[in-house]
Amino acid sequence: MTVLMQVVINGILLGSMYGIAAAGLSLIFGTMRIIFLAQGTMIVFFAFVVYWLFVKLHIDPYLCLLIVVPLAFLVGLGLFYSLFRKAVALEDRNVTLLLAVGLMYLVDNAMLKVWSATPRSVTISYSNAVIVAGGIRVPWLRLALLGLAFASALVVFLFLKRTRIGTAVRAASEDLEATKIQGISAIWVCAISFAVGIGLAGVAGVGLATVFSFDYQFGFVWAIKALVALSLGGIGNVFGALAGGLILGIIENLAAYYWGIAWIDVASYGIFMLVLIFLPQGLFGRRALVKKV
Amino acid sequence: MLEVKELSVSYGDVVALMDVSLEVEEGSIVALVGSNGAGKSTLLKAIAGLLRPSQGQVLFMGEDLGHLNTKHRVDRGIVLVPEGRRLFQGLTVLDNLRLGAYIPRARASYDESLERVFGLFPVLKERANGRAGLLSGGEQQMLAIGRAVMAHPRLVLIDEASLGLSPILTRTIFALIVALNQQGTTVLMVEQNIHMALKISSKAYVMKTGHIVLSGTGEELLANDDVRKAYVGERGSKL
Repeated sequence: MTVLMQVVINGILLGSMYGIAAAGLSLIFGTMRIIFLAQGTMIVFFAFVVYWLFVKLHIDPYLCLLIVVPLAFLVGLGLFYSLFRKAVALEDRNVTLLLAVGLMYLVDNAMLKVWSATPRSVTISYSNAVIVAGGIRVPWLRLALLGLAFASALVVFLFLKRTRIGTAVRAASEDLEATKIQGISAIWVCAISFAVGIGLAGVAGVGLATVFSFDYQFGFVWAIKALVALSLGGIGNVFGALAGGLILGIIENLAAYYWGIAWIDVASYGIFMLVLIFLPQGLFGRRALVKKV
Repeated sequence: MLEVKELSVSYGDVVALMDVSLEVEEGSIVALVGSNGAGKSTLLKAIAGLLRPSQGQVLFMGEDLGHLNTKHRVDRGIVLVPEGRRLFQGLTVLDNLRLGAYIPRARASYDESLERVFGLFPVLKERANGRAGLLSGGEQQMLAIGRAVMAHPRLVLIDEASLGLSPILTRTIFALIVALNQQGTTVLMVEQNIHMALKISSKAYVMKTGHIVLSGTGEELLANDDVRKAYVGERGSKL
């Protein structure tokens, strides 16, 4: 029983990382219907930034949040205005998907050039600290990551519920043209939700740098995992996305425990397909999807 | 107040509006009637800045709006109540109203506007914290109009307010539009319920395949044989 508990808790701790990544995707997809496949690459990029800040300037990775998250927000604004501003106005969503794929490979290879192919990780004084309770071991850093995931979901939730622009973001995710009719600048709303989404990639970057080792080509896998988490959680609900991440983490760890490590991805992508076929609105999605055929 | 001069709008190769001219006087209710596909909604969208005309001008209080996007037109006081209401269904009634008052000019008079909306539509006050999607059809139409009122408009463009509503509810909505007008808001409405629209409007335009084919006071058009035959007669049973 203790072992099973440990497996589930490991899953939750891993899943918090998927959850943050998925919450960012959810915001971007929710307002603009962009499947931002480069989200994982952005996470890896910000992990490299954290790595650099740590190695060159000896800044504690968690302190880096104060630098990396605002930086990520600005990068998000920049990416939106340079790459997506025109494309979001097009009827055809494929252009935005292709842009994201192009951006992913461009940044992947730029990172290879700058940081080489050597896997990196940030080892801090408290990296190996472990909390033991009732026979269950919880690495301190992973627990911190879980806390960070909940904190960022809460911040985004409050942003969406309590601020004027956040309300406009929720409105835009339902009907972008109708927000325009209210005199709201649709482009600005898109830019803000994109920037908040990339800001979450900054948070995830800190998590990635401190808990995992990573290299330049990890981004795609993280993006796909975030998509799976998003499909589980349903679009347009940050806590749903976070929960989707946690569930995915648990599924992966259970699969590894019962069937072996090789089954991790078979299980998670299998669930991904099943959810898309039978529950396309996600486990927590309120809105039923409109049938076209 | 509003002057549309020889306006043409095309969707790709399809011409939706052709040399349309009309005038709306401050304080009036003007109706725009005609069969489906005549270009009425297109005209409202062009006035609201959601569509770019290929030719012609839209003047508001003497200013050419040609270069202004929707945001700036809302800022000048032109607000659209779109066809099909286009409410934010998952958001609360109050959130919908807040979004109506999004532009800075409207924010300044938020409390006053909210009071006005709740005065016109008391049911919205009762349902303020409920989701907009859970309102009945008539209440949703009230919310759509209320959302526009929150922008502190001078001219409201109402597209098919009676769509999908029962005759009784249609009457209620029309009475509310008249009340809104009496508070000093000018109204330009597109309506399929022609008889009722002509009754409450001081001036009306009849559109057909992208053109304005007839105009006059509501009474004149109600008395016009062509109008009666073409539009009112077939829908008379509705009244």
